[in-house]
Amino acid sequence: MVTRGSVLLVLGRGFVSAFLLALAVVVLYPLLWMVLNGVKSNAELFGNPFALPVAWRWENYATAWNRGVGDYLMTSVLVTVTSTLATVFISAWAAYGLTRVRIPFSRTVLILILAGLMLAPTVALIPLVRMFQAMGLYNTFWALLILYTAFRIPFTTFLIRAYMMDLPAEVDEAAAVDGASKARAFWQVILPMCRPIIVSTVILNILFTWNEYLFAMIFTSGGDFQTLPVGLTNLMSRHGTDYPVVFAGMVIAAAPVIVLFFAGQRYFIRGLADGIGK
Amino acid sequence: MRKCTYPKAAALLVGASLALSGCGGSSAAEPVDVSAEPKYSGKLGILTKFGGDPLEPYFEDLAAQYTELHPDVSFELIQETDQSIKDKTKTLTASQAMPDIYFTWAGNWADNFIDGGLAADLSPVIAPGTDWGDTFGESSLEAFEKDGKYYAVPLYNNGKFMGYNKKIFEEVGLTPPASFDELISSCAVLKDAGYEPIAFGNKDGWPGLHYLQQLFAYNVPADVLQADFDPETAKLDDPGYLTAMEEFTTLVSECTGSGKDSNGVLYTTAQQALAEGKAGMYYQEILEFDSTAAEGTPLQKDGLGIFKLPAAGDAPGDTEAIEGSPEGYLINARSENAALAVDFMKFATTAENAATLSAPPYGQPSAVKGAVSEENSSGPVIEGIEQVNDASAGIIWLDSVTVPDVADAWLAGGEALVGGSRSPEEVLESVRSASEAAK
Amino acid sequence: MTVANSARAAAVPVAGAGVPNLSSPPARAGRKDARGWRNLIWVLPAIGLLAAFVYLPLVQNLGFSVLEWDIYSGGQTFVGAENYARMFEDPIFWKSVVNNLWYAGISIVFQVFGALALAALIEGLRSDRWRRTLRAVYFIPSAVSLTVAGLLFYFIYEPQMGILNAALDGAGIGQFTQAWLGQENTAIFGIIAMSQWQGFGYCTLLFAVALQRIPTELYEAAAIDGVGPFRRFFSISLPLVREMSSLMMIVTVSGAFQVFNEVMVMTGGGPNNSSQVLGTWLYRSGFVKNDFGYASAIATAIFVITLSLAVLQLWYSRRRRVEW
Repeated sequence: MVTRGSVLLVLGRGFVSAFLLALAVVVLYPLLWMVLNGVKSNAELFGNPFALPVAWRWENYATAWNRGVGDYLMTSVLVTVTSTLATVFISAWAAYGLTRVRIPFSRTVLILILAGLMLAPTVALIPLVRMFQAMGLYNTFWALLILYTAFRIPFTTFLIRAYMMDLPAEVDEAAAVDGASKARAFWQVILPMCRPIIVSTVILNILFTWNEYLFAMIFTSGGDFQTLPVGLTNLMSRHGTDYPVVFAGMVIAAAPVIVLFFAGQRYFIRGLADGIGK
Repeated sequence: MRKCTYPKAAALLVGASLALSGCGGSSAAEPVDVSAEPKYSGKLGILTKFGGDPLEPYFEDLAAQYTELHPDVSFELIQETDQSIKDKTKTLTASQAMPDIYFTWAGNWADNFIDGGLAADLSPVIAPGTDWGDTFGESSLEAFEKDGKYYAVPLYNNGKFMGYNKKIFEEVGLTPPASFDELISSCAVLKDAGYEPIAFGNKDGWPGLHYLQQLFAYNVPADVLQADFDPETAKLDDPGYLTAMEEFTTLVSECTGSGKDSNGVLYTTAQQALAEGKAGMYYQEILEFDSTAAEGTPLQKDGLGIFKLPAAGDAPGDTEAIEGSPEGYLINARSENAALAVDFMKFATTAENAATLSAPPYGQPSAVKGAVSEENSSGPVIEGIEQVNDASAGIIWLDSVTVPDVADAWLAGGEALVGGSRSPEEVLESVRSASEAAK
Repeated sequence: MTVANSARAAAVPVAGAGVPNLSSPPARAGRKDARGWRNLIWVLPAIGLLAAFVYLPLVQNLGFSVLEWDIYSGGQTFVGAENYARMFEDPIFWKSVVNNLWYAGISIVFQVFGALALAALIEGLRSDRWRRTLRAVYFIPSAVSLTVAGLLFYFIYEPQMGILNAALDGAGIGQFTQAWLGQENTAIFGIIAMSQWQGFGYCTLLFAVALQRIPTELYEAAAIDGVGPFRRFFSISLPLVREMSSLMMIVTVSGAFQVFNEVMVMTGGGPNNSSQVLGTWLYRSGFVKNDFGYASAIATAIFVITLSLAVLQLWYSRRRRVEW
């Protein structure tokens, strides 16, 4: 027997499903459009924007790559890998100190590190420019490495510390009984146990660094050293009349992180959950 | 010595910052000797405006050739585009990281570097009468002259022209208009024939400024205009400004396909419309000619013609003036390789390299005498340079001739005129107050 | 919300719930001893980097904001509060504040309330596979950088080749086509809309994770009592994620006051400064108009606003902590 309630329920479910699917289309279609535009010709781009490309010009990708996107990509990889490693290592090291070692003024230290979460990078921008110039680091790899690491430590330490606090104290005691030093306990016992949160923070930091724009724009000045977000805007102004190549460059810039997200989705969501749950 | 003028109390506040910013340090060493015999070793940093296709290879090739001649010299090229060079230059200047050789426009832009002691005085080597100086057209050198001293190496000349598609004009029976009204009425003809009369993309703001500055030159008496560029002497109350702005809004609404929407269109899209044969005209610099009518574009087949933006018949200003000025390169006054930098710039302006620069695909009309010629350069470039040479005056771009605050007010004002959100009177008022504040 | 800021968003729940943990682990809270000092080696790298590159510049910025400073000659003159006085009289500064507020308000609607409702809808689905797929799909734009998303939407809004106007034409409502980013009254909203597209999935994911942590027994008990899905949402889900929503709100607002990337890429603050936000106006004042003292004053304004929000967040999370 079909009740009024169950009809409403089915209708409601149908409506919800339709809405969720429509939203998925809104999310995906622009991305699909971006990919398709990357293989069109300029004339097609200015024609019917919904049309499929007549001939698939994959050579646009090669052109984009040769016009600097290849170099930008390499720079982005270099900066992302080094700053992520530095950030996660320094943060895990600090988190260990904050949770499992007795240190003087630990509360002050903790507040100092975590308060960094609340500070907007824009505020420090102008002094940082002068500082890096005075240090001779302006427009170098080191500028970005230092900035990305410094500004990401608070958040990363936060997440790792929260995770470490949950590890039972017996772990350290067992390590201590074995005669392991604190440093050895960190490397051999605690760090491996923190693997899930480490993976999560690595993914979050990659996401941040890969996409960062403000510092990359201000602290690098073109030439051979430029990360993707800034390089892409250059590609736009340099080869503006060749828009399909710009689209191809955008796809090259976006793809690695999307792939990474799907590959590490499990860790990623778990990382967020861990962060929230504490 | 840089100035460190602030009271003691503030010193407390800024103490930490100054320690790092190095205020009080002796950064201004002896004036560099630009005429010294260069030591052919070291690294030369160069900030160019040749980023992107098709210009990028020019300095790369020069650097490679120079290194071949002098193997111990290496280069660090920072190649920016028209759009990005402004921000980049400011950033590098603010952080005192300017390279040995750097690009400059004429006008306030260059004056800032000269006044700030950042540009080496090149008079001993490049003033008219010197061997090197005599290879340049004198007016090009004078664009960078200040208080009798010559500062920049002029690389190429420039001017703004309306470029048109010859075939389309022929097809609809048009000839280059002789007056502003004629230009407006030609637009209707092109529109009826299904073409976008004038392609216009003002997303970045400066394309609008270029129209305005040329129209100001026509409508505002020359001496008034010059006085108004400097906030100290500016009055900015000439009725010619209002006429010019009204002409501009008429042009935007009657002639452009995008009209009020032009603020959302990139200038490159507009350039593309002329290149693809969709638009009849596009207002452009000589520097753009060879890339607009590039190899294989419909425009190249149809033929690119140029004419000076026509002035209204009764315009009270200088109707023979053309907007545009030479662009050049300054040598960093603090450079340790100043003599080498001079030598490199001499190399960049040899007759042979000047000819390369003036020919397609670069199409940058070299400031070196005789470089723009039938055998090197494309027709429109030769014609443009002839007109620039015949012009009564070269009017410097609005965004480099005056101080940044005033330029910025004009930029916002131009966008407001395009979008129709402010009247010419309101725009002039806002520029006046910006100029007032910049005194 | 930027990915960078989204990452900050993730921290908030942590911050909120984590506040009671601000003290050192109770088991280890002992008296300082001589040996303790050596243990500072653990936190020294982090503290050192933060002190030098985060805190010191903050202090320096305050110093810069009372100077007038010529970038060409390097000369600096003390001008007291003049930069601040000019800032309060600068219509574009206030325009920027208003735009930041729009940013904050619209983001709260879509990225807090909208994302929460969406998360509840998704978690209400019966198929686990669909739940996972949708969460992931909605998240994709957040993995795309704001630069790419900004450029992409620049083209989507473009009057001549964009799909937005083409879609409006196709839907028979061609009268609504316009240069979305080229008009003073629509530019900032075009940017904000892009930012919602880019950021809502991240927030949805966060809420979904939070909702999952609500014990299912609560829902089951309610369902047995004959409570419908709407009432279950309002009487169970909403109160239990309320703390998180409030915190998300504060972080969203804080993020909205730090916007820079997308505005820079899409309009540069134009036309006629109509889409200027504090971040881009700071940049323009300093790096384009050479007025670094003034730019530092704007930076101080951003600092004061974001710090107040952070303090509000701390205060709030201390007061209302919901345990479950």
